[in-house]
Amino acid sequence: MENKCDNLSLFIINELTNQDKKQFEDHLLKCAKCQQELKSIQETWQMLSYDVEETEVPESLKSQVMDFVFEENKFLKHEEKKEAEPMSFKERILSVAKKHFSPISTAVTAILIICLIGFYWNSLHLKDTIKALENNAADPTQIVTTYSLTGESFAASATGSAYLLQEGTETNLVIALNNMPITKGNEVYQVWLLKNGNRQSAGTLIPDQNGSGLITYRLPPEYSFEDIGITLEPNPFNTQPQGQKVLGT
Amino acid sequence: MKSKSDEELIELIVQNHRPALEELYDRYVKLIYSFSIKITKGDTEKTKEIVQQVFLRLWTTKRTYNASQGQFVNWLLTITRNISIDLIRKEQKYKGTVQLELEEWQQMQGLQSEDVEQQVTRNLLKQQIQEAKRQLSEPQQRLINLLYWEGYSLSEIAELEQKPLGTIKSRLHQALKKLRNNFNGKIGGVRHGE
Repeated sequence: MENKCDNLSLFIINELTNQDKKQFEDHLLKCAKCQQELKSIQETWQMLSYDVEETEVPESLKSQVMDFVFEENKFLKHEEKKEAEPMSFKERILSVAKKHFSPISTAVTAILIICLIGFYWNSLHLKDTIKALENNAADPTQIVTTYSLTGESFAASATGSAYLLQEGTETNLVIALNNMPITKGNEVYQVWLLKNGNRQSAGTLIPDQNGSGLITYRLPPEYSFEDIGITLEPNPFNTQPQGQKVLGT
Repeated sequence: MKSKSDEELIELIVQNHRPALEELYDRYVKLIYSFSIKITKGDTEKTKEIVQQVFLRLWTTKRTYNASQGQFVNWLLTITRNISIDLIRKEQKYKGTVQLELEEWQQMQGLQSEDVEQQVTRNLLKQQIQEAKRQLSEPQQRLINLLYWEGYSLSEIAELEQKPLGTIKSRLHQALKKLRNNFNGKIGGVRHGE
């Protein structure tokens, strides 16, 4: 019992758990001492609130308080009303969307859409590639012109053939050479294209041990030439022939 | 309006009668304001917030005030203190709940209407409570201030004072009894034995 009487102060300051509070209330019905003390101590606790300095209240406070009370109240009522009001078409769509799309499902949907676009894009590209391949197949490489090359001077036994290959809009010159004397040191055979007395380099080659060699050269667009000449150059990268002519058309 | 009792004004408020609320404001705002400004340590913004919440509570309360449930002014101050401490605790991010309206009413039950205010002026009451507090020991005074005005719970106070919770509980009990005795002595009430 004594223990329970100790809870009187805690009961008054409302610091008992719900269970303890209920127990104390039961105890209070039976304990005359607590009943007697309760009232006076509770009053004392409440008297503490009078320990304040009287402070002048600002004039403007009344309207601020009244505005707050009645605005707040209106707001609360408005909130209740608003819930009942029918939503606009847009709001309804949004609310349906919100209801059906959680953040996760939205993310998943977005990823799926991105994947779909990706696949579509990919298949478009694939189509283009296939089309290009088909075009190529329908437009095979054609030999436009053939030339035969004959050897001169020390390479008199050398022979060669040259082909102009048309492949779409591209023209390639292919030259195959046989029985070429082996080169020494820095020596290379250089191909020259002749037009109106001007020579243009079309690449260099070094024949293998059997004296065979192959060279291809992509002609510049709209380019034409009259003759092909091959020289033995003492070093590569010449822009004009220095060495002796060994083969020609 | 001026001639109506607090009880009648509350009845009118339940019927959404705005002038009744304004009359209660005029009667009690000074007390509520003075109380709130002390508990907020002079913060006029917070004080305004508290006064607004107190009157919003009064306006939205759907419970008819019954004089037998205790003094209206004490009930009002209990609400004010609860709202204030709620605000203070929210700002200090304290845990713990503040008693609800229902509890406030239950607390008042069993308290018979005894209009102390009619016996002595508020100012006299203040002097008496201050005098009664002065007779408490230093730790007892500190306890009452932390508990009543700062809104600390007993276990928080036990932590602050670095004392077992049991010690703080019995200190509270002693402090309240001593206050009561000092107080009663002053106003000529029956002196209770310690």
